[in-house]
Amino acid sequence: MNRVVLSERLVPNLYRLVLEAPEVAASARAGQFVMVIPDGRGERIPINLADWDTERGTVDLVFLNLGASTRKLAALKPGEAVEGLAGPLGRAPEIPGPGAVLLAGGCYGIGGLYPLARVLKQAGRRVIFLAEARSPAYLYWEEKIKKYADDILTLFREDCLGSGQDFKELVGGVISKHPDIALVMVMGCSYLLFKFSEATTGSGFKTLVSLNPIMVDGTGMCGACRVSVGGRTYFACVDGPWFEAGDLDWQEYFNRRKAFLSQEEQALARLDREFWKRTE
Amino acid sequence: MSRTDRLEPGQAERLLREREKDWRKALRRELPIQKRMAIERQPMPEQEPGVRVRNFKEVNLGYTLELARVEARRCLDCGQPGCVAGCPVAIDIPTFIKYIEAGELEKALEKIRETNGLPAICGRVCPQEVQCEKDCNLVRAGKAPVAIGHLERFVADYLCLREGTGAGISASPEVTRRPEKIAVVGSGPGGLTAAADLARLGYRVTVFEALHLPGGVLAYGIPEFRLPREILQSEINFIKALGVEIKTNFIVGRTASLEDLRQDGYRAFFLGTGAGLPSFMNIPGENLLGVYSANEYLTRVNLMKGFRFPEFDTPVPRARRAAVIGGGNVAMDAVRTALRLGAEQATIFYRRSRAEMPARVEEVKHAEEEGIVFNFLTVPVRFLGNDRGQLQGMVLQRLALGEPDSSGRPRPVPIPGSEFEVEVDLAVVAIGQSPNPLLIKQLPGLKLGRWGNVEVDSQTMATSLPGIYAGGDAVRGGATVILAMGDGRRAARAIDEFLRRE
Repeated sequence: MNRVVLSERLVPNLYRLVLEAPEVAASARAGQFVMVIPDGRGERIPINLADWDTERGTVDLVFLNLGASTRKLAALKPGEAVEGLAGPLGRAPEIPGPGAVLLAGGCYGIGGLYPLARVLKQAGRRVIFLAEARSPAYLYWEEKIKKYADDILTLFREDCLGSGQDFKELVGGVISKHPDIALVMVMGCSYLLFKFSEATTGSGFKTLVSLNPIMVDGTGMCGACRVSVGGRTYFACVDGPWFEAGDLDWQEYFNRRKAFLSQEEQALARLDREFWKRTE
Repeated sequence: MSRTDRLEPGQAERLLREREKDWRKALRRELPIQKRMAIERQPMPEQEPGVRVRNFKEVNLGYTLELARVEARRCLDCGQPGCVAGCPVAIDIPTFIKYIEAGELEKALEKIRETNGLPAICGRVCPQEVQCEKDCNLVRAGKAPVAIGHLERFVADYLCLREGTGAGISASPEVTRRPEKIAVVGSGPGGLTAAADLARLGYRVTVFEALHLPGGVLAYGIPEFRLPREILQSEINFIKALGVEIKTNFIVGRTASLEDLRQDGYRAFFLGTGAGLPSFMNIPGENLLGVYSANEYLTRVNLMKGFRFPEFDTPVPRARRAAVIGGGNVAMDAVRTALRLGAEQATIFYRRSRAEMPARVEEVKHAEEEGIVFNFLTVPVRFLGNDRGQLQGMVLQRLALGEPDSSGRPRPVPIPGSEFEVEVDLAVVAIGQSPNPLLIKQLPGLKLGRWGNVEVDSQTMATSLPGIYAGGDAVRGGATVILAMGDGRRAARAIDEFLRRE
């Protein structure tokens, strides 16, 4: 039983669940994810580990309320349980030294990168945290992150759009402020990953992106999450989720994420109907 | 060489002792051999093809008590039963069939359960035609073999489904409890069998399952129209009733390492981690939307109940023209699933000819009745897609059969210039799986074979690491349920000896 200890809305559409999962918490490493099944009719969906507490035996998940599964998760109250939770999954990324690491997160990725900030800082690395959000109202966890980041920068989409500034220039500005950056790690929506990949290609340092393709089992059994990197096919669940951004076939990645778009809408519509029936 | 030479030491004598019991002699006297041989094999009642392609209910409806007793009378109760030697777990087949003839169904089930923990499953999914039924003496006389599989299934269903938790539970309370904890990794047929046998020997057994439901390939791979889930559940309940604990959502190698489990007091291990790594063909276009591994396609449908989308949340692709590549049971399952999900045309593309297809004869027969199209001696060379990355067709090449390859089957050789195109919007790749590397690659010193399979001693199933045993598809690649069970059984015996030695 993975019971909900705490459930909160962090900012509009982003939720945090703290779930009992002592064995997962004991084995968790920064940059890994878990598979969650919201209820008895639910899908298995991957969600990044945003934190864990080995003493209390809990894991923190931060997710965007977007489809049927995440809507079900967002509606959970303390004391209720998810149908299943398995992990930790994926490879914890290897982080070559030396030099500063730029952690760039948007959306759920701000939470998902937090454990990386902690381990990097504890390993004595300089950590620059770049939080991307729609506007300041969509930022969360700044206080938590501050503890482990040497510098926190923000990037607001409304500024980007308004200023007419190019994304590449913005990222370039960040990097020139911290010339010791040797590695960029990005987590968040696919578009953010792609823009970072574009902006840092050819800049001489490594950019790792945390991919979030469709998965079913999450243990390398089905191949739903296959991605092409440098011309080879990898399973993101066991070979990733971290890959070098410049080598990824982005078009294929975008396409494959949309494999079930119409069914996803259908599932959501059905859930809504059920919800209204209950409230009537 | 006599047929019983293939039996384990002591088995022939045990069979003979059973056969010489008075009730057996009386049964044999009751109906002479000639009359028994005149009875035709009783056909399995089935759902009509036109009806069953619109549902996911089981195709075979099962024998009635009357049919089963007629079929049981066909068994000649031979002195040298070839069937037992043909069974990978050496079930005492004549005895259980004669119990059916005598109307003693509990005793029949008990007899099967002595060597087979999952009779309702084996009765359904074993390839009987190349095992027990192949060596039935009726075949020598030019007759159809006794329907051993159908009878095994009948006994298990008749008793288990009635009582829910499985009848004839022999978790003998007089068994001496043993303090040692044993970890079984994977809850497929190999793991469940090892767990059941070890629990019967008095050990404390925990089965660790990575997915959220137990059963392994029985849960994610085999569709409900071949193995209804309440049957699987009833067999799993039986194993739980023996005292086995099943921990789901626990990925050994991730949630905890094997070393962690050792620290927790587990003294021996059985790795039944299966063949969870799907093979792809590595041809252009394989990552197009609409190309699936059989594992993904079947897991969505079976484990996640995607065939009931949107009642269940996991979507499955719905196709107009479905192509399945491969000729084994997994390919048959996938292609028949596509048909049930509404495909106008569902086609098998297999690179050898009909004679080499590894699928069970009954599955091929059912597939043909349902209108599956078979294309032999063809292989895809590339998939074709549109600008949104969606599958639209494939280019295939024709093959001819050449010299036998290492597997003894004729090697398919491409015919130059024979390429042709077909229109498809779903392609399922069912060309095999290799052992799931997640755990086994983490164990330093574990000897692996050419295909990443765990190497074991074929008698004890011992790996190169002390206290660690393995079986099923993790050792064999893609094999059968019953072979995995045989492995689990041998491993259980060897683990017992190992722990007693220590």
